[in-house]
Amino acid sequence: MHQLVKGDERKVKIPGVLPRWRAVAVLGAVALLAAACGSSGNSGSGSAKGPIKIGVSLSLTGDFSADGKAFQQGYQLWAKQTNADGGLLGRQVTLDIVNDASSPVQVATNYQKLISVDHVDLVFGPFSTGLTKASSQVVNRYGYAFVEGAGGGPSVFTSGLHNVFDVSLPVANNLVSFAKWVAAMPASERPKTAAYATQDDPFTAPQLDAARKILEPAGVQTVYNKTYPSETTDYSPIAAGIISAKADIVLVGTLLPDVSAFVKQFVQQNYNPKALIATAGPDQGAQFIQNVGANRTEGIMVPNGWYPTADNPGNADMVKAYIAQYGGTAAEVSSDVPEAYSVGEVTAQAVKNNGSLDQAKLIKELHSSTFDSVQGKVKFDSTGQNVDAFSFVFQWQGKDLVPFKPDANSLLVPVPPETRKIQYPKQTW
Amino acid sequence: MASSASLAVPADPLSGRGLSMVRRVLLGALVLFAIVFPFVFTNPATTSIAMFTLLYVGASSAWNTFSGFTGYMALGNAVFYGSGAYAFANLASHLHLNGGMGIFALVPVAGLIAGLVALPVGWLALRTRRHTFVVITIAIFFIFQLLAYNLHALTNGSSGMSLPIPPWDAQTYNTYFYLAALVVAVVAVAVAWVVRRSSFGLELLAIRDDEDRALGLGVRTTKVKLATFVLTGFLTGMCGAIYAYYLGSIYPPFAFEAIFDVTIALMAFFGGLGTISGPVIGALILEPVQQYITLRFTAGGFSLIAFGVLFLIVIRFMPEGIVPSLAGVLRRRLRARAEGGASPQSSDSPPPGTTVSAAGVAGGVRS
Amino acid sequence: MGTELSKAVVDGVLTGGVYALMAAGLTLIFGVMEIINIAQGIFVVLAAYLSYVLQVHLGIDPFIGLVFTMPLMFGVGVLIEWGFVRRLKAQNRSALSILVTFAVAIVIEGILTQFFSADLRIIKAWYVDKSVHVFGFYLPYIYLLGFALAVVLLAALYVFLYRSRSGKSIRASVQNRTGAELIGININRVSAITFGIGAAVTAAGGMVFGATNSFNPNSGYDLISRLLVIVVLGGLGSIGGALVAAVAALVIEDVTAVLWSPIWASTMFFAVLVLVLLVRPNGLFGQAAVRAQ
Repeated sequence: MHQLVKGDERKVKIPGVLPRWRAVAVLGAVALLAAACGSSGNSGSGSAKGPIKIGVSLSLTGDFSADGKAFQQGYQLWAKQTNADGGLLGRQVTLDIVNDASSPVQVATNYQKLISVDHVDLVFGPFSTGLTKASSQVVNRYGYAFVEGAGGGPSVFTSGLHNVFDVSLPVANNLVSFAKWVAAMPASERPKTAAYATQDDPFTAPQLDAARKILEPAGVQTVYNKTYPSETTDYSPIAAGIISAKADIVLVGTLLPDVSAFVKQFVQQNYNPKALIATAGPDQGAQFIQNVGANRTEGIMVPNGWYPTADNPGNADMVKAYIAQYGGTAAEVSSDVPEAYSVGEVTAQAVKNNGSLDQAKLIKELHSSTFDSVQGKVKFDSTGQNVDAFSFVFQWQGKDLVPFKPDANSLLVPVPPETRKIQYPKQTW
Repeated sequence: MASSASLAVPADPLSGRGLSMVRRVLLGALVLFAIVFPFVFTNPATTSIAMFTLLYVGASSAWNTFSGFTGYMALGNAVFYGSGAYAFANLASHLHLNGGMGIFALVPVAGLIAGLVALPVGWLALRTRRHTFVVITIAIFFIFQLLAYNLHALTNGSSGMSLPIPPWDAQTYNTYFYLAALVVAVVAVAVAWVVRRSSFGLELLAIRDDEDRALGLGVRTTKVKLATFVLTGFLTGMCGAIYAYYLGSIYPPFAFEAIFDVTIALMAFFGGLGTISGPVIGALILEPVQQYITLRFTAGGFSLIAFGVLFLIVIRFMPEGIVPSLAGVLRRRLRARAEGGASPQSSDSPPPGTTVSAAGVAGGVRS
Repeated sequence: MGTELSKAVVDGVLTGGVYALMAAGLTLIFGVMEIINIAQGIFVVLAAYLSYVLQVHLGIDPFIGLVFTMPLMFGVGVLIEWGFVRRLKAQNRSALSILVTFAVAIVIEGILTQFFSADLRIIKAWYVDKSVHVFGFYLPYIYLLGFALAVVLLAALYVFLYRSRSGKSIRASVQNRTGAELIGININRVSAITFGIGAAVTAAGGMVFGATNSFNPNSGYDLISRLLVIVVLGGLGSIGGALVAAVAALVIEDVTAVLWSPIWASTMFFAVLVLVLLVRPNGLFGQAAVRAQ
């Protein structure tokens, strides 16, 4: 600074003007250099000797921070288990997790940093449809395979990218098992009318659309169909609308807070639909019971691709490891955890099958083979959606969430060892 | 605010009457540095941060051209950013364009559409003053965000829109966007400079100083404010268009982001409100630092604390922003030096920080 | 449709009470000091966490817990005023306050994230899920209690401002800062007390918010814009105005959701706000700005 001022004095006609311009230049250069140096600080170890580095960007702050954290747990559990089992290709795996603050700007930078600066060997997906879509193009430019578990909105699969693979159930198919079951009922039993209400969200709205497209041709008339903003905090007008439509069955695109609000209102107004299914919320075990009351859960349904006691390879171990590390009960494991865990499992199997970390081979292998995961079988179609995934339908009976799966005739049958039949119509409140 | 009609001319290197030779050279060197930057620092992570930084230079500079000069604190410029983004996405999809260089020609068109959006918004919002104006811009921002969810024909609702994917590889991809962003950023700063030097700019400052008096002196305040507001909308819309094209997809919460509203204002404050170089420096520092801190600290809380504390320190020691505060320090040093040694040098323009009546100047210009 | 509509109005009024409680501190601080307290949203969340901690770890009922959380939040408010807000120079004070309080907000958010992680929490009490049946409506206890608390606290604040000596100093400062200084009012002291009271009232708002909504450290962002809009609609510095505006906001949204569609509910409210401000730039109960001169 000293030197700088001295120089100015010699040349400058207008005192006080030039130094600032110098300062501008210096500051600008410093800022940009800081960015440059900062991101080239950790030079990568792409060597074949050390551990296998896996890069992940997760929303540890911001709107998706709650899910981001659950995803982090899922990835970490998988890494721990993999290392305990001797690693991948005989090497240990390490996770290089960076925060994207739920921002598309940051997520774009993050994957470029992970690949080009940290030289990670593999990348796993972030949380949410929007961030997955934004980062999938970045990852595609590097020719990396992009296996993810929480970017299931239809828009992710319409860009024509061949490197994106979603190990979870395609979002839109969540309610399909339920809708087909209703449509396949004998005409005398089949409900005449249905009400639909959903958050305006790429996760919930497509599920109701898909269900409605099955139910309407089957003769189930739509008597109420409304979308509400996901920031809504007062759900009573929507509940009142559903109640006054007096539909036979109700399908809601919700998370826990809104489905709880709906149930409360239905109970209070003594409205008894023959079936009530919510995209999410009733699957949250203890929290759901607390929110709606222990005697009110009977007969409520929820679709899901996974449940804590599912008989999939590795599932019981994962749930046990989760409880050992983070506490709680099996029912409290967020479904984000197995989604992240499955990403690790599927990628690891494809890598093992190839015997190498070569990305082009990895993409090819992912497109061609069938894999196992804690969420069940995984087989990808050409767009990267998991075609082997189907949704179970769960129904609260007593204190349990009883799993049902569709048989060849689309009927919902209990998943062994469970023997209880599905309850329809749902008992009154 | 101030009881007299005088105001401190923003201590700003570009507010002088002309550019001296030395300044021209330095300015040229800076622009040259900016141009060669992506070819020197080729790492995509660096160029990605640099590209976003330039978009913020443009958007913050545009914000400052209206809000910094007139004193009307707009907290809803994401309306134009989002409008530009969606205009670009719609143009690209309706014209069935493929990704590539040519499509950048649509950026100014998207900017014009955003400017068109700014016309009714400004007409409405500028009927109010002070705090009411701030809140009206926030309210209009939320209306636009909700419209983005609800007008499916234009935005495809919450499912979002995809943009054409350019055929560039990972190493060169960012460079194209960086250079496009650089052009927009330079245009935005140049516009700020031209406005600031013109009699039009003096009218804006007169409005900031004392609007009623400016009106009394013959400044057509409504027209002047609205014209600048639309100009800001145009520049911000161009930034939004590049942003959408870079990401490759656009969703309502990405395009109409409340954080963007605050960020561009903070950058201008941080660097120096109402100065030409203030928003530039604010963006050059804050965007890389924020991205770096977010990346660096995986424990989410730390990144927030670090960023917040950095902010508080700067506000504590440089309450007027970096440019005016540093200018003050340098000026004092120079003066001390001048007093100790040679006699003060003569100057053909008032030293920065000198107090003149902008309203008077503006009035003089008009009469 | 008739019952749906009247239910929407009743729900709107009750929820509006909670929002008024959250907004009261903001309007007070704004009115007295011309400080736009962006940290108000995170104050609400911080207060919710305080109530949550007392309830979970010490088993203290959230309403009784206010005895502890309100003084605590008063302290937080005074500290922030003394530490950061007081140091702002008069020029550009309002504008700079956005910057300072934003920085304070992200620091608090960071600290909360460090302590509580991003998990969603909710404050529990035996009455939170219960409701009472009156006139054919089911009214949740927590909203009734929250509304009652809002009325009591806002009334107390009103009495304080109009009857007590400190309150009169505060009101004098609202009307004319320089004048108040001239007649010997210690502006620094008044500012600190105002910030403290603003934060203390928010403690109550935060508690009810935390009992009716799931929250995490990020929840403050959705709140601040809403609260800001409510206090400007009510008129800056007007406590009663905040109550009326909050109730109006929620009733308009609920009624729009019933008559038209939920997705247009908020849009309608913001449109009404813009229209009101065009006719009455100082809000429903605001005084014309005299301080500018």
